[in-house]
Amino acid sequence: MASLPHPRDIQIAVVEWLDERYPFTKSVDEALYQRVPNFANAFYYCFGGMVFILITFQLLTGVFLAFYYVPDASGNPAPAYTSVQFIMNNVFLGWLMRGIHFWSANLLIVMVVIHMARVFWTGSYRAPRELNWMVGVVMLLLILVLSLTGYLLPWDTKAYWATNVTIEIAGSAPILGPATKILLLGGAVEGPLTLQRFFAIHVFLIPGLLVLLMYVHFRLIRQHGISEPL
Amino acid sequence: MAGLLTATVVAIVGPILVYVWPPAPKGQRKAGLKVTLNADVDSIPPETAVQFNAPTGTAFLMATGGGGNAPGDPTFGGFLVNPGAASQVEVFASRCPHLGCSFAFDTAGKIFKCPCHGSQFNLKGDVIHGPATAPLAKLAWKKGDQPNQLVVDGLILGEGQ
Repeated sequence: MASLPHPRDIQIAVVEWLDERYPFTKSVDEALYQRVPNFANAFYYCFGGMVFILITFQLLTGVFLAFYYVPDASGNPAPAYTSVQFIMNNVFLGWLMRGIHFWSANLLIVMVVIHMARVFWTGSYRAPRELNWMVGVVMLLLILVLSLTGYLLPWDTKAYWATNVTIEIAGSAPILGPATKILLLGGAVEGPLTLQRFFAIHVFLIPGLLVLLMYVHFRLIRQHGISEPL
Repeated sequence: MAGLLTATVVAIVGPILVYVWPPAPKGQRKAGLKVTLNADVDSIPPETAVQFNAPTGTAFLMATGGGGNAPGDPTFGGFLVNPGAASQVEVFASRCPHLGCSFAFDTAGKIFKCPCHGSQFNLKGDVIHGPATAPLAKLAWKKGDQPNQLVVDGLILGEGQ
């Protein structure tokens, strides 16, 4: 009976095969083995990481919610509403999945604000890190757009009228208001086309942009290093 | 080079902007919408209001505006009001001029109350409590064939709405 190779030999063989085609080991080592300066061990340096963890929660739970959610607001009751009820009442641990998505979204805003306050407080936005601050501000706006669009998706009374008010406020802006209102509504009235638009923005457009900007944010941190205390 | 770049951006961004601008759905048109009330138009008691909704797939179009409402804006409901004291019967759009919420009639207080931010209006549609600053919008209407029927100016929303 031929003896099987030792698992470690299989590992080495796979890694060597990969490394011959791209320097994975070198890249991973460079990314992982970096000294964290002692001053960065203070608790208030953790909030950016918490934001990252919460965004990861949002992406994961969001994908799982999309397994059952139906972005269709036609009819009464609309499938959008009944599918959320189905997630809450019928799907195994559906209430937990939606609960994590809901509470992480709330906590995310809190953590983003604390992270931003810490960066301001420690002066970490100063040269040469201004660009990273700007990227962060854009991500804050993207997260607020996610909150706004996600709020409509349950298609219950609160969601409908809150979004109605939101669109009215946007529409009351000078010059660009009326056009913004039509672009958000997707039609003459707040209806299925509005929900479809908000759904597409919530699950396709903004998460993609956000992940891209997170990559830029982290590359810039690696470029500059963690900012030293004042 | 800059011209070529600009041309490329315009050629890509332009069509995308036109794409996201919503077209009117197939079959969307203005029409007189027939609404049946649970009371006769001429025999509504003074100082009361009768609520009615636009039939499924339609919306009423406002005849007047003010605040967040404008003539031609859509709304899904209305109130037929007899303000009493020999005043004429009026029809209001049930859309708050503040930020567009649907308000309700308070039968005890004989006022309209908006649940979103607390605006209040009297039976003539005037503001009696903010944050709204403009009176209620009116709907254009006439009596229908039946004593309890109204014909209200509106919009058939069309397929896809």
